[in-house]
Amino acid sequence: MTASAAWRRVAWAILAAAVVIAVTPYLWLLLTSFKTRVDILSPQPAWRFAPTWANYPAVFIGKEYLPLLWNSLSIAGCSTLLSLAIGAPAAYVFARERFPGREDLFFFFLTTRMAPPISIAVPLFLFFTATGMIDTLYAVIIAHTSFNLSLVVWMMRGFFADIPREIDEAAQMDGRSRLGAFVGVVLPLAAPGLAATAVLCFILSWNEFLYAFLLAAFEGRPLTVGIPGLVTPHGTLWGQVAAVAVVATLPIVVFAMLVQRHLVRGLTFGAVKA
Amino acid sequence: MGVALRGIRRTFPDGTVALHGLDLAFEQGEFIVLLGPSGSGKTTACRMLAGLDVPSAGSIEIDGRDVTALPPRLRGMGMVFQNYALYAHKSVFENIAYPLRVRKFAADSIRSKVQAIAALLRIEPYLHRRPAELSGGQAQRVAVARALVWEPAICLMDEPLSNLDALLRLQLRTELKRLHRDLSKTFVFVTHDQEEAMTLGTRIAVLRDGRLEQFEAPRNIYRKPASRFVAEFIGRPAMNTFDGEVRDGRFHAPGWAVPVGDRPAGPAVLGIRPEQIEIVSAATDDAFPLVLDVCEPVEPDILWFLRAGDRSLIVRGSGDDITAESGDTVHVRFPRVALHWFDPVTGARLP
Amino acid sequence: MRPVSARGRLLFDRGTAWFLLAPAAVLVVIFLVGPFYYMTWTAFTDLSFANPDQHGSFIGFDNFRRLMRDDDIFWSSFGRTLRFVVASVGLEFVLGFALALLIHRSVRSTRILLTLLLIPMMLAPVAVGLLWKLLLQGDFGMVAYYLRSVGLLGRDAAIFSNPDLVMPAIVAIDVWQWTPFVTLVVLAGLMSLPREPFEAATMDGAGPWRQFFDVLLPLMRPIIALVLLLRGIDAFKEFDKVFILTGGGPGTVSELLSIYAYRVNFKNWDIGYGAAVAFMVYLVVVVLCSVFYKAVYWKRSGDRVAA
Repeated sequence: MTASAAWRRVAWAILAAAVVIAVTPYLWLLLTSFKTRVDILSPQPAWRFAPTWANYPAVFIGKEYLPLLWNSLSIAGCSTLLSLAIGAPAAYVFARERFPGREDLFFFFLTTRMAPPISIAVPLFLFFTATGMIDTLYAVIIAHTSFNLSLVVWMMRGFFADIPREIDEAAQMDGRSRLGAFVGVVLPLAAPGLAATAVLCFILSWNEFLYAFLLAAFEGRPLTVGIPGLVTPHGTLWGQVAAVAVVATLPIVVFAMLVQRHLVRGLTFGAVKA
Repeated sequence: MGVALRGIRRTFPDGTVALHGLDLAFEQGEFIVLLGPSGSGKTTACRMLAGLDVPSAGSIEIDGRDVTALPPRLRGMGMVFQNYALYAHKSVFENIAYPLRVRKFAADSIRSKVQAIAALLRIEPYLHRRPAELSGGQAQRVAVARALVWEPAICLMDEPLSNLDALLRLQLRTELKRLHRDLSKTFVFVTHDQEEAMTLGTRIAVLRDGRLEQFEAPRNIYRKPASRFVAEFIGRPAMNTFDGEVRDGRFHAPGWAVPVGDRPAGPAVLGIRPEQIEIVSAATDDAFPLVLDVCEPVEPDILWFLRAGDRSLIVRGSGDDITAESGDTVHVRFPRVALHWFDPVTGARLP
Repeated sequence: MRPVSARGRLLFDRGTAWFLLAPAAVLVVIFLVGPFYYMTWTAFTDLSFANPDQHGSFIGFDNFRRLMRDDDIFWSSFGRTLRFVVASVGLEFVLGFALALLIHRSVRSTRILLTLLLIPMMLAPVAVGLLWKLLLQGDFGMVAYYLRSVGLLGRDAAIFSNPDLVMPAIVAIDVWQWTPFVTLVVLAGLMSLPREPFEAATMDGAGPWRQFFDVLLPLMRPIIALVLLLRGIDAFKEFDKVFILTGGGPGTVSELLSIYAYRVNFKNWDIGYGAAVAFMVYLVVVVLCSVFYKAVYWKRSGDRVAA
């Protein structure tokens, strides 16, 4: 065996170990959701067992967790659409217009994303209580829209900047207004970037916990807020917890695979293009 | 009737001035070339015409109507961009049809107009392709087709040939000239390439640092450059110019002198085009000797670089005329009619 | 028809821009700037929902004085948070960077590999918390079982009620979740590196180690700064996982700053003082954030303006 072949084997062994470490815990969650209580509580890890579907209906119908799935979908869907509708035009302005204080304003958008949710949670809580929107989907949708907005502005600015300015100008020469050029030509050209941004917004909103927990702890709560409610000091039904957790995570894992190419760019606020 | 720029100024927010009060007027049907080095304001002037940029002061008139405040879509102009600016998500056909669709032409008229302009530019085989599948030359033809398809009165072209390689540039240049002849539209063409300007323009506006240096037919630009700058910018190789002084019927430059006949004495700049200098076999009254430094054959011609003081005098001659080698002394003659005189301070042409 | 002036056209142009920018600005002002100012203001009052006598009268810097001088719990949780950030981000960086180098060297098609590696970071943090709670259960947790069987864990150790094990466990879980992020970004950086400097170094006779330290690391510096700062900011705000796993306990052993701020605000309802705590968290993040912006975006914003 040559040195380089040996090196390759070591490399592949390390990578295989990394994959096992990354994937096995999640795999265990999937398995747990199909286990009976006895299999779950077995002191020796039960890798082989007779699968059961019972956990899913037990929690989603028996404990009425189905509306939570709907809440999660509504919150993530609506806040994604809203933050794109509001953020993409702003990003376009940042990409094209020069105006004094542009970079400062842009930096400000970044800080709004980086600010810890807990630091503005109280005023938002009070605001939504005062307006009667507390514990509704609206409160969470608005909160998620405003924190996803900066992500949209940052990501889409990069995608718009990748489109040559002359494209807008050509559209204007071809007879469109400024706004018409943006809507009719630039947006369709930026569609792949828009899609990637949308998916990332959706994922972040779907996974978000603190705002949802503080602003909609009961009626409007999404899955992320619902899961901890199933954990009790004694006698947690882990099969049901796992079932909810699987439903709350599997769509996202699939989604993430779809936008993997743009993931780096989104997660680094456009600083790294891959 | 025609187009007029009146006192156009453009100051950018960072304080740089792109245009210092440009005045330029031309008639319908001309092929106007805006020529200048980078930073001369030629692209800014073109964008002002298009309406893509707004003058800080001054006005623009088309056929006597003030259009300064009109957005691009209401000015009735087409434009070709240096980087083509084709819509990557539309087919070639749809790219060309786009201005017609925006302007709500009927579907069958769109089809026939696109077909007609495609035929004129010989891009019919590519109509169903995407812009990404085109070569540079094809893409620029599509861009030209898109600018002209709805028959605007004026077509603006901002360095349309600069992204193409040399051979394509020559081909497309000829085609643009043919298009202009056949369509009899006004073309405004921006370039930094003096050869393009000379071959295409009916009139050339030479710009420098945001100011108009000369605006005339190519013939006059070449024969009677209005300034030292224009003289040195036009022609390949550029005109020889020397700072010196006229004294006793001779022009004295550092290290050499040439008889120039009856000129007022005093400091002056002498200019002469390389192709108008004569090499003579022996010393005569009006010839003077210089040492040959380097020869560059540019068949069928030859460029001689002669040592003239601490500078080079470039001569363009026929390669068959005289054989000489580096270090030899040759005799050159400046025909009186070929001499240009410029003011040493302002650079303006002297009579 | 009276022609519109050039200034009119400019206004129209700017008008389009403002029209496009306005909705975002309104949203940000109402739901981010507004709350932020409210929070800053309440930090100077004695507002408390637990005590009906405290309506929110202005008390100057009292809250900050209390925070700086008297609040041991704040300072210990501040220190704990810093240690958590350094430990988890440090480990994530070293492991993630090594993994990225390995992948860059030996894997040609990275797609499937990355897809699998990315799973942990795409999971909702809440789900990650629950998942590890399940895995580390003393009597039936799968990972706990294997840790015990190789002797890394005592016979009847309950990790989340053991003050010595809680923070290391939380760090380990964070490392599990976020190492893939470092790998992903560093790998993207490695793939975008130019080849010439390495070829030049080879011609100059530099071996693999010299190339790593003299060529690769300097070229990767912006990416490294980016990864460290983004992860640092995120880790500093850590809430979800810890909230689910331990709620800050046992006692306050795993109480990070965000958890502490949550407790003061939403358990004690001591809003004025809570605002002061939240303000401190915000301040640290903004400082980190501006370092990020300067380090990563400064040069680039220049050519973006030109573009």
